Amino acid sequence: MNIILIGMNHKTAPLEIRERLSLSCWTDLNPLSELMKFPQVKEAMYLSTCNRVEVLADTTVAETALANLKSFIFHHGNLSPEEMERCLYVHFDKDAVQHLFRVTASLDSLVMGEPQILGQVKDAYHRAVENNATGMILNKVLHHAFRVAKRVRTETAIANNAVSVSFAAVELAKKIFGSLEGKAVLLIGAGEMSELAARHLINHGVGRFLIANRTYSRALEMADAFQGTAVEFSDLANKLGEADIVIASTGATGYVITREMVAKSLQGRRNRLLFLIDIAVPRDIDPEAGEIDNVFLYNIDDLQEVVDDNIRSRRQEAERAEAIIEEEVIKCRVWMNSLTVVPTIVSIREKVEGIIKGELEKSASWMKNLRDEEKNNVETLANSIVNKIIHDPITSLKEESQDNGVTPYLVAVRRLFKLDQN
Amino acid sequence: MDILFFKIALATYFLSTVGYVISLLVKRVLVARVSMWVLFSAFFVQSLSFGARCIATGQSPILGIHDALSLIAWIMTGAYLAFQLKTKTRILGSFVSPAAFLLMIIASIGIGEHVSIPPALQGSLVPLHVILAVTGEAFFALASCAGAMYLVQDSLIKNKKGRSFSRLLPSLRDLDRINHICLLGGFPLLTLGILVGSIWARTAWGSHWQWDPKQIWTLAAWCLYALLLHQRLAIGWRGHKAAWFSLLAFFFLLLCVVVNQFSTTLHRFV
Repeated sequence: MNIILIGMNHKTAPLEIRERLSLSCWTDLNPLSELMKFPQVKEAMYLSTCNRVEVLADTTVAETALANLKSFIFHHGNLSPEEMERCLYVHFDKDAVQHLFRVTASLDSLVMGEPQILGQVKDAYHRAVENNATGMILNKVLHHAFRVAKRVRTETAIANNAVSVSFAAVELAKKIFGSLEGKAVLLIGAGEMSELAARHLINHGVGRFLIANRTYSRALEMADAFQGTAVEFSDLANKLGEADIVIASTGATGYVITREMVAKSLQGRRNRLLFLIDIAVPRDIDPEAGEIDNVFLYNIDDLQEVVDDNIRSRRQEAERAEAIIEEEVIKCRVWMNSLTVVPTIVSIREKVEGIIKGELEKSASWMKNLRDEEKNNVETLANSIVNKIIHDPITSLKEESQDNGVTPYLVAVRRLFKLDQN
Repeated sequence: MDILFFKIALATYFLSTVGYVISLLVKRVLVARVSMWVLFSAFFVQSLSFGARCIATGQSPILGIHDALSLIAWIMTGAYLAFQLKTKTRILGSFVSPAAFLLMIIASIGIGEHVSIPPALQGSLVPLHVILAVTGEAFFALASCAGAMYLVQDSLIKNKKGRSFSRLLPSLRDLDRINHICLLGGFPLLTLGILVGSIWARTAWGSHWQWDPKQIWTLAAWCLYALLLHQRLAIGWRGHKAAWFSLLAFFFLLLCVVVNQFSTTLHRFV
């Protein structure tokens, strides 16, 4: 068992190089069948996302397999040798497992904690299974990786807080209104960010959209898109009373919403809470409006600060996640080490079983006088003596495999039992 | 038996309070979730204590001021546990549980003492008066817990500070609703309690009103609650101002207890 992980990600390789590699795969060829053609590759998985291209393989001979894997990347990515050296990273065994765990748990992602990567790794694994490219090792390691990702997700808050401005606005709205169901949103002005925020709000069950724009026809257009009602710009002061959340993003130079407008609207709305989001530069909403009771005003800088804060707290959570991964890698290594002694244990058992069988056959001539019951007793006796004798060496071998110094024991046992002859 | 249950309940309230404080410190809702179950068991054991008392004495378990405080803790906890089934307000327990624990500590000072009831207070209306008034007060206590947390959350969101803390606290709407519902429930109970008390006062002392300090302060608090309820229902007060006002009114209710201890009053009977 020699696990190799080779690949490049957003940190090591620019997009154009990753693009070349991921484009050539799956469109005109099946990377898994290519990989499995290499005689040293026993199992393989090919993972390609917008931020990374990676090959995970279990191989018989690490050195030659690595050369083959490199040539695979080299050919399909059309890379120059210098680019290869610069962009490519290679991990073996325990490090490969650790890298896989970090990727699956979204610690290696561009946006740390983003949830898509787990699904992408799962897809890559299913493709490998469909192509019969996986076996005992990759099955075990990948299922372990999925478990680790789940553990990280539940035990740390790495994916908890919004890391985009529009999502941060939705989270704040939830802290104010509890549920957003049935709430009315007033969109003032159009813009990419306000539309994005509006879409997030729709996903969280916002009930009604009012849309105001300087050009009424544009308001009508957007009203169509969001299934809302278009509002005359001059009627803004009145409509403020109907809204719970206001998103302002006009190109106006002065304040579109003044303190007086907000104060007046509160009477009409019986002091219902009002959340004002001002993502326009220069600002659309008079900052003094935020001082009124039951009114909460956030501008683009405030929201950006929330996001920066969240990114910082994600980094802190990432440290806890790394500790979890460390722990799980150790668990996986124990299993991997025990695998290295398994073939030897099997050989010892086969050898002694062969000896018992041979000796019983030799004794068949005098044993034929015995009754069946006595024959069985002799066989049981022989088996149990031999099993007792090999029990301790096998247990010790398993125990030693949990440490790193397994190799000298393995070599000694194989020589003592002459397992490598014939 | 009831004293043993009371002591267990007291210890369990202490545990849940510690749990809630830890959940605030480590900023994890999970800890609060566990504390909620501890709080529930405290509530349950306290119910057993009341039940055992009823069976043992064959009369209302609420006799002295200590029993009244313990009843406030019990109702407050029970009402909170019911609320948090419907709303995501697990962290509100970190205000409710210490308050209940504090009440239980004060209640425990007089535990086991024989309460001698003056003849003037021996009548079937008295336990009813106490239970109604105390239940109303328990609701107001819960309203002020929600109000206090509302003010914390409100200022955190408004001033854009303490985000990790704000994330932990319940939403403003949930806190405001608990404040509102407790007010709606507590007010009629306190009103009825006062009415029953004054009817009894008429039979015992010949007049509905004795200018007793406790009566005066309770009436003042009652007026504030009446005003708050009116403003909430008719004018549409909510949120920040309503939360402040419910704290103010509760402060007057607390004054009643203090006044009760330091003045000559008919209401003192322990």
